[in-house]
Amino acid sequence: MNPDVAKAIPELAASGALPPETAPRLLRVARGELLSVHGELRALLYAGVLMITGGVGLLVKENLDRIGPVVIAVGIGLAAVAALGWVIAKAPPFSWRAVPSPNLAFDYVLLLGVLLAGADLAYVELKFTPLGAHWPWHLLIMALLTGAAACRFDSRVVFSLSLSTFAAWRGVAVALLGSGLWNGSGEAVRWNAIACGALFAGLGLALARTDRKAHFEPVAVNLGWLLVLGGIGSGIFAPGGTGLAWAGALLLAGAGLAAGAFHARRFPLFAYGVLAAYVGLSRLVLEPLKLGVSGCFWFSITSLLLILGLLAAQRRMEEPL
Amino acid sequence: MTPDCERADRNAAVRCAARDWQRAGAVDAATLQAIEAAVPDDRVRAGPVFRVLLFIFTIIAVDAGFGFLSLFLELADSKNGGVLAGFALVTGVVLAVATEYQIGPMRRAQGGTEAAASFLALGYLMGAATWFVFEPLKLDFRDALPVLCLAGAALAVAAAWRWGYPLYAGAAAAALLVALARLPAGRLLWIALPLAAAPFLLRLAESPRLPPAHRSSFTAVLLVALVGLYVAVHLGSWETQLVEEIGEARRGLPPQNDTLWWLSVVATALVPLVLLGLGIRSRRYPLLIVGAGTAVASLVTLRWYVHLAPLWVVITASGAVLVGLVLGLRRWLDAGPGKERGGFTAEPLFQDLARQRLLEMGAAVASFSPDARDLHEEPKFEGGGGQFGGGGSSAEF
Repeated sequence: MNPDVAKAIPELAASGALPPETAPRLLRVARGELLSVHGELRALLYAGVLMITGGVGLLVKENLDRIGPVVIAVGIGLAAVAALGWVIAKAPPFSWRAVPSPNLAFDYVLLLGVLLAGADLAYVELKFTPLGAHWPWHLLIMALLTGAAACRFDSRVVFSLSLSTFAAWRGVAVALLGSGLWNGSGEAVRWNAIACGALFAGLGLALARTDRKAHFEPVAVNLGWLLVLGGIGSGIFAPGGTGLAWAGALLLAGAGLAAGAFHARRFPLFAYGVLAAYVGLSRLVLEPLKLGVSGCFWFSITSLLLILGLLAAQRRMEEPL
Repeated sequence: MTPDCERADRNAAVRCAARDWQRAGAVDAATLQAIEAAVPDDRVRAGPVFRVLLFIFTIIAVDAGFGFLSLFLELADSKNGGVLAGFALVTGVVLAVATEYQIGPMRRAQGGTEAAASFLALGYLMGAATWFVFEPLKLDFRDALPVLCLAGAALAVAAAWRWGYPLYAGAAAAALLVALARLPAGRLLWIALPLAAAPFLLRLAESPRLPPAHRSSFTAVLLVALVGLYVAVHLGSWETQLVEEIGEARRGLPPQNDTLWWLSVVATALVPLVLLGLGIRSRRYPLLIVGAGTAVASLVTLRWYVHLAPLWVVITASGAVLVGLVLGLRRWLDAGPGKERGGFTAEPLFQDLARQRLLEMGAAVASFSPDARDLHEEPKFEGGGGQFGGGGSSAEF
C-alpha cells in the first residue's frame, strides 16, 4: 500500500500524464487492493529446492551403510533424471536469445535436477572411481554439462554454477561459505584464479560480441573480474617485493577496469575497479609509511579525494536510481 | 523531516512507482517522462553502486580522520580516556550537523555520504555515552546495558524522525526491547507492548499524513515488535530464559510442563497462524513476512521436540511439500478471474524481477558452488575418487 502513489494516480490521469486506461489497475495496487506474491512464491520454491537437496545429502550421510552405495547412486540418479526429464518435456524451443521460462517452477526444477545430477556423479566417482587417478575431471565434465544445460534451458543461475564448478576444477573456491576463499592458497591457485577470471571475462565478451546468449555476459564478466581481482589481491600481503608487485598489479588492473567501466557505464565493474585500485595503492603507499598516524592521515585524505572524484564521476555516468 | 524533505520524499515514492511501471511495461517511456515532469525531484541522489561507494569511503575518511587527530594530539593517553570521549562527543555533534546540512541546504537524499554521516554521528555519540556510563558513573555491565540501550534508542528515534531512516527506527525498537528485558517483568512487556502497539503501528505505517520514510519507519518498528513478541512466547526462548538472558536478569531455568510451559507451546503454534491469517485477510506484507518467518521457526521447533521421522525424511518431505504447495497456490491464483483471488495474484505486477534474479544467482553461487579441489593433493591418488560434486554438490554434501 502506498498512499502517496494512490493519491497521485488520479491526479496524473486527470492531467494527461498517465493514460486513463492504465490508471485503475495501478490504483488497485497502490491502494493495496491487489497484492503480488510472485517474488514470495519464487523464494519459497528456491527454499524448497534447498531443502530437498539438503535432505538428500543427509540421507546419503546417515544411511550409507544401511542402504548401500548402489541403491543410493541409482536413487539420486533417478531423481535427477525425473527432474531433468520434466524440464526437457516443458522446455520451449532452443534460442540463442533470452527465452522466458514456461512456468514458475521451471528454473527451480532445472536447478534441482542439476544439483542432484552433480551429487550423483560425485558420489559415483567417490564410491566406484570410474575415472581413477583422473578423478578431478568429473568437475570439468560437470561444468561442461551444466554449461550446456544452462544454454539449452536458458538459465543464468545454472550458468553461474557451471562457471563456479569450472573454477573448482582449477582449485579455486568461488563460494565464500566454504572453508575459505582459496583452498590451499598458493601461487598455483592464485594464477588459476586469474586465468579462470580472464577466461570467464573473455567468454562474456565473446557471448556479447556474437550475440549468442548475450544476456549471460554480465554473469561471466562479473564473476571473471571478481576472480581476477581476488586472485591478484590475494598476493598483496606476501612479504617484501612480491607483495608490492602484486599490489602494483592490483592497482593497474583496478584502475584499468574502473576506466573501462566508466566509459562503458558498467556500474558494478566500476565499483570493483575503484575498490581494487584503492586497496592496491594503499598497500604500495603504506609499505614505507606503516600504519599509525601517517596511515590514518593517508586513509583520511585519500578517501576524501576519492569521494570528490566519485561525486564527479557520478554526474558523468548518471547511474539510474 | 522538514516540509521540503517531506515533499521530496512523497515525490520520490511516485517517481519510483512510475519507474517500476515502466520496467514492467505498464507504461511507456514517454509516460514515465510525463510523470517525472509532473512530480519533479529537487534532491541530489546517487544510484545504488555510487551510493555504496560513497558510504564506504565516507566511513573510512571520517574514522581515519578521527584516528589521525586522536593519535596526533595524543588524546588516548589522557586520564580515563575522558578527552578522547569528549572528542568523540564533539565529532558526533559535528557529524549530526553535517548530516543536517547535507539533507537540508545541500538537498542530498539517497546519496551515501549523508547516510554515512548520520550513521557515524550515532556511533560517535554512543561511544561517548558508553565512556560516560562506564567511567564517571562507574556502572557495571548489567546496569549499563539498559541505560545504553535507552540512550541508543532515543538517538535512533531522533535520527529516524529527523532524517527519515527506517533502519534507525527498527534499531531503536530492538534497543528498547533489550532495555525492557532488564526489568523484572521484561518478558511480559515484550508480549504486552507489541500486542498493544501493533494496531497503532499498522495504522501509522499506512497513514497518508506521514511521509513515506516515516511510514517505513513505523513498518520497521512493527516488524521488530512482532519478532520480539514471537521470541517472548516461543517455547525454546521460555525454556532457556532467552529474554532474561538478553537483559542479564536470568534467575534460573523454569519448570517444564507447568501452565506457563503449555501456554508457551500454544502461543508458539498460534502466533504464526494468527499473523498469517491477519496478513492474508488484510493483504499486509509485514504481517505476511513475519507470519511466514515465524511459521518456519515454529515448524523447526516442532521437529526439535517431536521426532516423527528421521531428519532427512522431514527435510526432504518438507521441501517437496513446499514446492507442491507453491505450485498448487500458483495454479489456484492463476485460475481465478483476472488471475487473482481475494486480492492476491501470482503475476509479477511491478516487482523488480532482475534484482530478484541477481539475488538468486548470488545465493546459488554462494551456497551451491562445489568445494575447490586441493591442488596440493594431486599426486597422491589412492582411489576413492573426489569428494566434490559438480554443478554445486558434493558427494558428502
